[in-house]
Amino acid sequence: MPAVSDALKPERGGLAVRVGVLAYIGILVLLPLAALARHGLGAGFDVLAQTLATPAATHALWLTLWSAGAMALVNAGMGTATAWALVRYRFPGRAFLSTLVDLPFAIPTLVTGVMLVILYGPRGLLGDWLAGSGAKIAFAPPGILLALLFVTLPFVVRAVEPVLLEQDPAEEEAARTLGAGPWTLFRRVLLPPLLPAILSGAVRSFARALGEFGSIVVVSGNIPYKTLTAPIYIFGEIEAGDPQAAAAVSLVLLALAVALTYAGRALEKWAGVRDA
Amino acid sequence: MTAAPTRLALLFTLLAALAVHAAPPPVRTLTLGAYTTPREAYGKAIIPAFQREWKQKTGQEVRFQESYLGSGAQARAIAGGFEADVAALSLEADVDTLAKAGLIQRDWRAGPNRGMVSRSIVVIAVRQGNPKGVRDWDDLRRKGLEVLTPNVRTSGGAKWNVCALYGAALRGGTGAKQGDAGGASALLADVLRNVTVMDKGARESMINFEKGVGDVAITYENEVLVGRKSGETYEYVVPKATILIENPAAVVDKYADKHGNRDLAEAFVAFLATPEAQRAFAEYGLRPVDPGVAKETVKRFPAVRDLFGIRDLGGWAQVEKTLFAPDGAYERAMAAAR
Repeated sequence: MPAVSDALKPERGGLAVRVGVLAYIGILVLLPLAALARHGLGAGFDVLAQTLATPAATHALWLTLWSAGAMALVNAGMGTATAWALVRYRFPGRAFLSTLVDLPFAIPTLVTGVMLVILYGPRGLLGDWLAGSGAKIAFAPPGILLALLFVTLPFVVRAVEPVLLEQDPAEEEAARTLGAGPWTLFRRVLLPPLLPAILSGAVRSFARALGEFGSIVVVSGNIPYKTLTAPIYIFGEIEAGDPQAAAAVSLVLLALAVALTYAGRALEKWAGVRDA
Repeated sequence: MTAAPTRLALLFTLLAALAVHAAPPPVRTLTLGAYTTPREAYGKAIIPAFQREWKQKTGQEVRFQESYLGSGAQARAIAGGFEADVAALSLEADVDTLAKAGLIQRDWRAGPNRGMVSRSIVVIAVRQGNPKGVRDWDDLRRKGLEVLTPNVRTSGGAKWNVCALYGAALRGGTGAKQGDAGGASALLADVLRNVTVMDKGARESMINFEKGVGDVAITYENEVLVGRKSGETYEYVVPKATILIENPAAVVDKYADKHGNRDLAEAFVAFLATPEAQRAFAEYGLRPVDPGVAKETVKRFPAVRDLFGIRDLGGWAQVEKTLFAPDGAYERAMAAAR
């Protein structure tokens, strides 16, 4: 990191800003996290481990992990393709497509769930036809996956886009002149610089999906051992007056989210995104 | 004769008129914390009738602040500081939550009908014309039948449903032998295996049923009747054996006293037992507790061959242990159903 020049060195005012921001973030983020950790560990690690070992809790966590993982994989592929299309091509509706990509962040997730049920539910536009062909989407794991894909759509696209914009077309041309086929070109020239951004976007979408509640509670069916995800399990335990179990599973999600956020930042550094 | 005294009299009259205006008839506010089911009964019939009666008796206007939530959530809200003068909930246990929190200090069961203001039964809602031919609990274990019932962790209604099914089996109302806990658990596991959506509350569950999800929904009779009143076409089947649900209402002593509303709150709870209020409950699908009104409305509510109560299963404390505890019959059936 370049040294800050003397003229820019923070004076007392700067110190106040730093202390103020630290206190702000501390109260806003760190304090609630500490409260949860204390509450979750209040009865000791044994109780925590026991709660986590109940089949209902393990299953809920497992479902959350694999559905988020599958979603992250699809996002990595389709998000990159979307960014590619947006950057490399000029076509009618391109601006509209770009707006559509951001839309999921602006839609309340509960509404997302409702939309999916309207579309894929038994009396839905597609649900009826799908039921006829034996496929089940709403109130089944595919519904969870669709909801997660919807709410995390912008992550990979917006992570890859700036890197693509900065790519030097000269490298690509050089490779082509040297006789590289499209596959080699993609694998050896285009993909490597994109990879950190793709991974960082995928990891962040994964972290975001771990906590998704609003859309899932409507679309998934919430059957323990089948379609009950960890956040909804947590909600149930709170409602049932078992904050201990809720805190235990919350802690696992929290630890994962913290680890993933770190991983995301590390990947961004690797990708050369300037440290903010 | 001068104009002065006349003017003076006029001034007095004017002042008097102003004084009357400055002190309008007192308006009082009563806060009702209720569960969602009887919302229409309270909002459209019972509250307006009570307001009329109170005005006639005392000359006071009563304004109501109404809050409707799932019963457990409402109890937690009131215990957590939502200052309701009167609580109308779906489960005794929820009123006891308020008593344990020190908010209800008097014996709320001392009133008429042991503090209960309405009742219902657990039934099986089916599609118009009952296309799947569902007649009783045993039919719900049929392979491929899609069943809706809410999540017992979040819904008091779901607990009633499980108690109805399990209790009916224990009492010999199904294919299982009377008193055969294993047979009852097996039935429970089979039915749970058919459950496709577990919503967080009874109302949400019926909304999903109305959207076309599921072949049958285990629910309260009044939910079906209210739905039909608003134009839904589904019907319901009354099992041979099912459970009687009783809904309590009580004055929340601490908050009623704090607001100086004791007289008003007590009058409102007492009003709920009057034939007028009881008829309103019946109008919105709830079975009346008043014997006279029950007789009037007997045609609307089919008789049940074996109607049992939560006491027949040992009471809520016992049921929480044997059924809903982590090693209870429900949790084991749920694990077996996967």
